[in-house]
Amino acid sequence: MSNYRFDRLKILVVDDNAHMRKLVVTILQAFGVIQIFEAESGDRAWHILRESNPDVILLDWVMEGMSGLDLIQMIRTNPQTPNPFVPVIMLTGHTSLDHVARARDAGVNEFIAKPVSVKTVMSRLVAVIEHPRPYVRTQGYFGPCRRRRGVEEYRGPERRSESPKQQAAE
Amino acid sequence: MKRQQPIELFMPPNMLKAKVGGGLGGMDMAAMKRAESAMDGLKSQFGDWIAGDVKALIEARAAYAKSADANTRGALLRRAHDIKGQAPTFDFPLIARVAGSLARMIGELPPTTALPLSLIDAHVNAIQVIHKQNLKDTNDKIAQALCAELDARVDDVVKAATK
Repeated sequence: MSNYRFDRLKILVVDDNAHMRKLVVTILQAFGVIQIFEAESGDRAWHILRESNPDVILLDWVMEGMSGLDLIQMIRTNPQTPNPFVPVIMLTGHTSLDHVARARDAGVNEFIAKPVSVKTVMSRLVAVIEHPRPYVRTQGYFGPCRRRRGVEEYRGPERRSESPKQQAAE
Repeated sequence: MKRQQPIELFMPPNMLKAKVGGGLGGMDMAAMKRAESAMDGLKSQFGDWIAGDVKALIEARAAYAKSADANTRGALLRRAHDIKGQAPTFDFPLIARVAGSLARMIGELPPTTALPLSLIDAHVNAIQVIHKQNLKDTNDKIAQALCAELDARVDDVVKAATK
């Protein structure tokens, strides 16, 4: 049985809907989190982030002005970010594979598909605590490794780099 | 697709685990029980919360009807998308379904195609009726028929605009 000291965490909740923020904050407080920061926009979140350097961010995707994806890209790549490795859990009503891929490409660590439930919030928090992902830096991406498993680099032939015709000829 | 090279892969120190401990880890059942109780305490407010979201949707619809541009269209989409995501959390799954249909229509129609106000209104009116009558049963036959009809009309409009 776990006995996490959630009271030691600083969590930033970013959502432009006050009701959703209240719901998420209520869940986190019941978990024992004391230091919770709230932001109603990406701009406000960026300001708080730089001041308070949270341990985890729960972030809505669709917001007026700076979207959740824009904010993640700033967190991962802006030189003024206090912690480019901070785990980001994205709250989203978008559940299509295409949207999930876009969020992964922006540097999201975990997802909470709405509707929000206590169990899902707990499981994603546990995931970022117990199963942190390795980070990857390439020319066009910096963020959590987008593969669930397989930290070890693949050593086999680069079949996908070949054209379909070449593959068909083999 | 060829891999981007070079790739730098590294594992930052797990500062979170060091901070919160938790032994072998896993779900903290006691904390979850407290949170479920706290959620139950909020449920009496869900009706008012969704009423606020519906009001915001009606205002966004009025703004779009007055001046149909990218800003008002984007605001309408955000309101519909918000309700789609939030209504199930607030125990209004039928409202979520109708809002999802509206969000799909706005999202899938090309930005150059004007949104059909009559179909927007059909969605907004349906959401208002479901809210006023406090309909929550997803098996309700009338509600199911209404949702299916809205879905079909959205399909038609999107197909006509994108063919």
